[in-house]
Amino acid sequence: MTDERVWLRPPHGQGEPKQVEAKPELLVPLMIAGWSQCEPPDTKEEVKPDVHD
Amino acid sequence: MSTTRLQEVLICFGKQKQTDIATANTGGQMWQLRKLNAALVNPKLNTENDAEEFGKGHEFPTQSFQTSWDVNGTLEKYLGSEIGAWAMAYGLGKVVKSGTTPNFTYTCTPLIPASGDAAELPYFSFVEQIRPGAGVVIDRMAVGCVVEGWTLTIGSGPGRANSKINVEFVGSGKATEPSGITVPAATLEKLLPSASLALTINGVNYVSNKNIVSLETSWKNNVRLEGGFFPGSGFQTPGDATSGAIRGRLEFANRQGMLKFVARFENGSTELTKLKNQSTGTAVLLLTYDANNSLEITWQKVSFSMAEVGETDGIVTVSVECLPMYDSSNGIVSAVAKCNVDSICQ
Repeated sequence: MTDERVWLRPPHGQGEPKQVEAKPELLVPLMIAGWSQCEPPDTKEEVKPDVHD
Repeated sequence: MSTTRLQEVLICFGKQKQTDIATANTGGQMWQLRKLNAALVNPKLNTENDAEEFGKGHEFPTQSFQTSWDVNGTLEKYLGSEIGAWAMAYGLGKVVKSGTTPNFTYTCTPLIPASGDAAELPYFSFVEQIRPGAGVVIDRMAVGCVVEGWTLTIGSGPGRANSKINVEFVGSGKATEPSGITVPAATLEKLLPSASLALTINGVNYVSNKNIVSLETSWKNNVRLEGGFFPGSGFQTPGDATSGAIRGRLEFANRQGMLKFVARFENGSTELTKLKNQSTGTAVLLLTYDANNSLEITWQKVSFSMAEVGETDGIVTVSVECLPMYDSSNGIVSAVAKCNVDSICQ
């Protein structure tokens, strides 16, 4: 997450978080519509053993 | 015996929010700021007695009972970027933090329950101390406080008193004595002076036309104090039903925004016309210390509800009261507060 972009979760916690630019003209309408700041989603991918080892 | 003078009083309060109404801030979550008003935050015990009960043979009380606790207080301060950010975050209730040292930006809006937001405001603890330790005079902490409202006043003149903020707060009633908190070092505050104001209301730039004289804007949550007491809301001493009830929630009721200003009135001034036409527009006020410390408040849609021509120091002026209205996209008010301090209301 860069500091110019923030993660927001949708109203009522339903749906996927999204990353938006931290500009008031973008944030304010979303905040009024129920979006709230949240931690970035866990993007760690499952690591599978290399079958060739 | 030494006299205790009020200049000794230290206050600190939650920069970070409490996890819930009953869990006090730790010392590391607090900051010390200074204040102008002398009033202390005295926890008030409400009592009742048995005077009305029959069977005693007389009308006089024979027993007194601890019923409940109240806490309320006011912070009167010169407006700085730190207290500005704190008041907007806790007073409006919804915050998005962005940025890194030294430029943190807090974008704040009111909570909108219809959009799924809570009606409970963020909680903080408030500590007052005079000579804590062996020679203690006062050392107590009010837990579970919320901002009832804030008022910004901007005046003409060079002094710090021309840019002030008043923050009123109320508490759950829970108080801890001694506080157990070591007050952190005072925060270096960056003043947002009146001379830095940028102001546009309803399409008129009142700074570039050099007409603004004074301005006042406020927000009030009208917290439901009685609604904080519900069956099971708890007691001052957990498990002790004789210690007096405390509140288990603090919710806002019907909130109110206010903006009024005085400006010079001259040929071409549009306030009276805009009053008659009920023209609407935004009202944006910005106060700046530097690139990293500022406070911008936007009333998203205002009309004029009153415009009255009078005089200020012999100059013809117009006093205008605005009606803040709800804009379907941007709500009623938003604040963008920049300061060097991390973790406010986080």
